[in-house]
This record gives sequence, C-alpha cells and structure tokens, in this order.
Amino acid sequence: MEHMNTARPRPIRCKAAVSKAAGQPLEMEEVEVAPPRAHEVRIKILCTSLCHTDLTFWRMKDFPAMYPSILGHEAVGVVESVGDHVEEVAVGDTVVPVFLAQCGECADCLSARSNICSALPPNAATGMPRDGTTRFSLAATGEPVHNFIAVSSFAEYTVVDVAHVVKVGAALPPEKACLLSCGVATGVGAAWKVAAVEAGSTVAVFGLGAVGLAVAQGSKMRGAKRIIGVDLNPDKFDIGKRMGITEFVNPNDSGDKTVSEVIKEMTAGGADYCFECVGSAPVMAEAFRSSRMGWGKTIVLGMDGNAAPISISSIDIMRGRSVVGSLLGGIKPKDDIPVLAQKCLDKELELDEFITHQIGFHEINSAFQLLAQGKSLRCIIWMPGAKEMEENAA
Amino acid sequence: MEQSNTARPIRCKAAVSKAAGQPLEMEEVEVAPPRAHEVRIKILCTSLCHTDLTFWRMKGFPAMYPSILGHEAIGVVESVGDHVEEVAVGDTVVPVFLAQCGQCADCLSARSNICSALPSGVTGMPRDGTTRFSLAATGEPVHNFISVSSFVEYTVVDVAHVVKVGAALPPEKACLLSCGVSTGVGAAWKVAAVETGSTVAVFGLGTVGLAVAQGSKMRGAKRIIGVDLNPDKFDIGKRLGITDFVNPNDTGEKTASEVIIEMTGGGADYCFECVGSASLMAEAFRSSRTGWGKTIVLGTEGNATPMSIPSTGIMRGRSVIGSLLGGIKPKDDIPMLAQKYLDKELELDEFITHQMDFDEINRAFDLLTQGKCLRCILWMPGAKEMNVA
Repeated sequence: MEHMNTARPRPIRCKAAVSKAAGQPLEMEEVEVAPPRAHEVRIKILCTSLCHTDLTFWRMKDFPAMYPSILGHEAVGVVESVGDHVEEVAVGDTVVPVFLAQCGECADCLSARSNICSALPPNAATGMPRDGTTRFSLAATGEPVHNFIAVSSFAEYTVVDVAHVVKVGAALPPEKACLLSCGVATGVGAAWKVAAVEAGSTVAVFGLGAVGLAVAQGSKMRGAKRIIGVDLNPDKFDIGKRMGITEFVNPNDSGDKTVSEVIKEMTAGGADYCFECVGSAPVMAEAFRSSRMGWGKTIVLGMDGNAAPISISSIDIMRGRSVVGSLLGGIKPKDDIPVLAQKCLDKELELDEFITHQIGFHEINSAFQLLAQGKSLRCIIWMPGAKEMEENAA
Repeated sequence: MEQSNTARPIRCKAAVSKAAGQPLEMEEVEVAPPRAHEVRIKILCTSLCHTDLTFWRMKGFPAMYPSILGHEAIGVVESVGDHVEEVAVGDTVVPVFLAQCGQCADCLSARSNICSALPSGVTGMPRDGTTRFSLAATGEPVHNFISVSSFVEYTVVDVAHVVKVGAALPPEKACLLSCGVSTGVGAAWKVAAVETGSTVAVFGLGTVGLAVAQGSKMRGAKRIIGVDLNPDKFDIGKRLGITDFVNPNDTGEKTASEVIIEMTGGGADYCFECVGSASLMAEAFRSSRTGWGKTIVLGTEGNATPMSIPSTGIMRGRSVIGSLLGGIKPKDDIPMLAQKYLDKELELDEFITHQMDFDEINRAFDLLTQGKCLRCILWMPGAKEMNVA
C-alpha cells in the first residue's frame, strides 16, 4: 500500500491518571504521548473500565509493578494515527486494545488450542511488546512513565501494538465494547473455550466479580444445569441470580464445613467444572477439592498477586481430576472478541448488568475505592467529551 | 446360572508382608471361598509393580500389617460366588485394582475410568471391607491389598475387578496388562491423546514411563524425551521409542526443565510424571510449553506430599491432569490391548527383564529397589510348566 503520509504524527499532550506509589490515589498529570512507531497504533480512548488486575498491580510494591506508570487495560477507543506497517486498522476505526497479542503467524496463533501468542508473549508487565520502551513521559519534566500490559488505558491517548488491537466497529455502544477487552470476555471465554461446559453440567464459580459472573453467564449460555456461586458478599446473590447463578454458598455461613465439603454434599461428589475467579492460591486449591473425581476440571482465571503456588493433593488429582489455567479465557482477541460483540448485538450475551457505575475520568480514584470495597462490578470511566459524543450519536 | 456352592476354604502359600520394608515371609494361609459377586482365582504368575514397593515401605496408614501385596497378575477362575455370571470356572482372567461396575455415571461415561460405585480402597474387599485371608496356623486375619492381593497362590477378587482375557496371550505378557503397561499406554492414548507430531517428555523410565513412550510412539509422537537418573535406561528406552535422553545428573547447573525447554524451543506438548514424586511433578509441569502444554501425573506419591502448581505459570494455557490406570476402563480396554499385542502393534516382551519362582519374591523386591529390573515375572508353583506351549 502506498504510504500516503506527508505529515508524520506528532507527540500529543493530554491527561493521564498516573500511579506513583503502591496503593496511593492516582494523580492526574499532563503527559506526552509519543507518536506510534512501526506496527503501533495511537488510540484516543473513549472510555475505560477498572479490572481487578489493575487493582492487584496498583497495590504491588515491587517488581513486576513499576513506578510511575499508567494502569488500565479494559477500554475502547478510536484510532488517531498509525505507524509504519499498519494495514489492519485505519485512522477513525473503533478498536479495543487487549493485553494479549494475536500476531496471527506463530504456532500458537495458528493453533486452535492456544491463545497465548508466542511471537509476542505476555511476559512483561511493562514496556512496548517489540522494543520494551514506553511511549509516555511527564510533560513537565520529560520523566518516562511506564506503560502497563501493552495497553495503558488510564490516559486520553495511548499507543498500542497493532497485534494487541481488535477492530470492533461502532455498532456496539462503547461502554459495552470496553467490557469485552478483558473481564467479560475472560469469563464467557472460559466457559466456552477452556472448559467447554456442556448442557446439563454442574458448575461452581468461586468469586462473583465481573469475571465470575461472566463465567456464570457463559455457562448458562452453554446449557449448564446448576451454577453454584461462591462469595463472601451476600449482595452478590441477587445480581448473580440474574446472570445464571442457581445456588449460593457463602463461606462465612457454612459453619464448620469447608466450601468444598458443602459443594460435594450439594452435588453428591463434586462439580463437573470449578472456576476460580478471585486470584488466591488457597481458593484455587479449594475449587480443586470441590471438583468431582473422574472428570472434574478446575479452571484458574484469577491471578494470585503473590504468585503463590497451588497445593494439589496427588491422590485427588490421580482420580481423573485436572487443573487448567488461562489468560483471557482462551479467547483469541481478533477472532473471538468480534464474535462476542455480535452476540451482544444479537442479545444472546447481556452486558448491561455488569455496568454498575459510570463516572468521568477525573473521578477515577472513586472507581478504585468502589472496587476495593466490593461495591462495584464494572465502573465505566468516560474520557472528557466522549460520553456527550456518544449521546449525540445515539 | 446354577451356582456350585461347595467351594471350601483353600490352604496355600502366600508371601506375607509383616513389617514395613522387611522381606516378605512365606506363610501358609487360608483363603476363604468367594462370597456374592466374588471370584476365587488360582494365580499363574504375578509381577512386581513399584506401587507394591511404595506400600511395602509405608509404616503407617493406609498401609496395614500383616498383608498380602501384589496387584499385577493373571490366573484361572477356580470358583465363583453368587451373582457371578460374567466369568466361569476355568476362565483366564486378570485382576485389576480399579473396578468397572458398568452401571454408575463414571462407568457409563467415556470421560472417566474411576468407578464411583466401587471406588478403590487400599485394604478390604470392595463391598464389605473385610478380608478373605487368614494365617492357617493361628487364624489371624491378613489384610488384602487394593482389591487384588496377588502374592499368593489363590486370591479372592470382586467380579467388578476381574477382566476376562482368554488364553491366547501368554500369561507373563497378559499379567503386565493388569497395571503398569496399561497405565503407560493408556495415558498416552486416553488421558493425553498424544497426536502425531507431538513432543513428549517422560519423567521416570520404569515400566510405566517406558509404556508411555511406547504408547506415544504408537500415536505418532515425533520426539519422546526420556528423563532418568539411570543411564542404563537409555538403551532399552530407545527400543521402546525414546528419541532423546536427559539425565539430571549430567545437566550441570541447569534443571531438567531448563534443558527440555531449550531442546524443544519452549517446552514439550505433553509431560508425563511416572515416578511418584511431588517435586518431579512440579519439574514436569515446568517442562511443558505455554499455550497447550499438558502434564500427566501417573506416579503415586508415597508421602502424600502435595503437588505444587505455580498459580501464574498455569495461567498461560497449561494444564495438569492425573489418572489411575492411564484412563483405561479395565473390562473394555485391557482385552483391546491384549489384541494389539497379538497383532504385534504393542510391545510387551521388552518389559520382562527377569523371571523367577514365587519363592524368590524377595529377590524381585531387591532388583526393583535397585533399579535393576523392569518387570520381574514370578511364577506360581507348577504354572510355568503347565504353560509350556
């Protein structure tokens, strides 16, 4: 394709919510966002949402967390400029950035069995995928600001490698589209692709946040008969029921019994599929113990911030049980996110219930508070002007 | 079918385990007649499996004393209890430590081979928890072992644990199918479903590991990396399908998983743990590739030490699965493996490294402990002579 560019894109100055110290409120700063290099795309963010993995890294004092940085990885935006060798998307396209790459050419991308691109693997929390550098700096001082898992959406503009960009089209409202860039895609994908839940199954979901509720919904879409939700927060049961949860177990209310003992009793031996959607190694072990022998599968979706190991009884595992983990629920971003978007438009996948709050970008710290207190599922954070644009377009 | 209910107790020889790790003692035992759903079998030959060794060494629960170990065997039905229609007196059968009732949700599902009606326990008959053995001299009960007990001239086995194999297969080959070789071949075929062109890593080149190698080769694996501390295992390994050998003693500062990751450009598609060590299970896991790498746990951990799975490492598409008997449904699949041997598609001869008489059983224990044998066939008195073709 002829390279039509006569004026190369220039750095952009804009607002970003910068994380400067573990667990401290983000600070609104003016940052400079460099132009996209080869294979990169600069995106004007419309809205972004807070995912618990952002919270996990926000609280992390040491490596792999880096400071200062721009967090956020669930978002939707419009392509503002492209670097060399970008043909897949054009200026003006509506896209979601995704923390997982899909180069389309490596053994993993070519296989139906994997969604972990081996050409651009998710090995580092910071640095652009191809050269490890950042595109952000503080406008006032020029100090570099780290990016985050190849996305960095808590900024008005971000630069993302084209392998991490999914074209979604403008039909889906942005507040729904951005949910598909991580949490909901992870949960639905896990039920569909990682577990392949079949009709009549019994499922147990540990942790009824956005990912867990998306697992419930995905399992219901696949015809699961029983979907047992496990959470310490009794408020989760009502919304859980609307998303497909059939029964609720609160570990605080199970007396002397462990959750796995309760679930094994309820299911006469254990569930067919147990999903861990919290990110805690002991919960992963409890989920495993809740699975039935013979074919019980435990699916690990949550990320343990301490990287603690999961302790599995070899006697239990030898009786036909298995444990599998995934990133993004086995979803291949460019192939599968548009499929999920279509399911939303066709009303087969319901996203409204996940959006519990909507705020302006400058209020971002309240989103952190709400999630930390377990009071929200997804808080949509609108960039200045974007919500009005959206309302005018409707 | 009319039941001949005149079966009486039988007095015969058994190799009894009386204390952890001590040589077995030949004793005269009394073997009770089969009760309902039970079959009494005259053993032709039996082989020593490492799981026998693991329990033999175990001081506390679930090991019990005195007991009759052994679970890989073949024999002829001597008498049957009530409600046994599947086999008749004179049939050649292999007893198996895993049941197949044929009616529970697990037996009816292709996904499972763990019968939920009769889940296997370490001692006690499956339906009533009692034993059929006692010392002839004193009447003291002697525990059975994982529903089989084959280190004895006659044993009583629940019919759900009995597989009819027919007499075409030589007994010393057939008895290998009652545990070790079936476990390895089954794991490659049913649990992993190794596909053509795969890269496989096998940790532990005993009978189970070598059977995994063979099963993987039968399924078209391209590379089968064998990991073992004993360099002698490479030659026999090569004959059974191993293409590359890694000896952790020879890898310098690198771990076996680091070596395997280098050799394979990222890790193996399937990693089989065939030793029974929690730390080796973790090493096998680390040797598996991201994206789809599967670790299959076959070895029994004698110390009940839990396996430690990295919570972040598993998120990159890896999985861990365990199985008993390699996913094999005994009554369905063992006859099929027997046929594969007769059709020369499955190699069994190489697994038999020693043959001896029953009364030399303690030598078999020594050989296996020292890593100097694969399968040692122990012939019951008179059986070998009967069997000469």
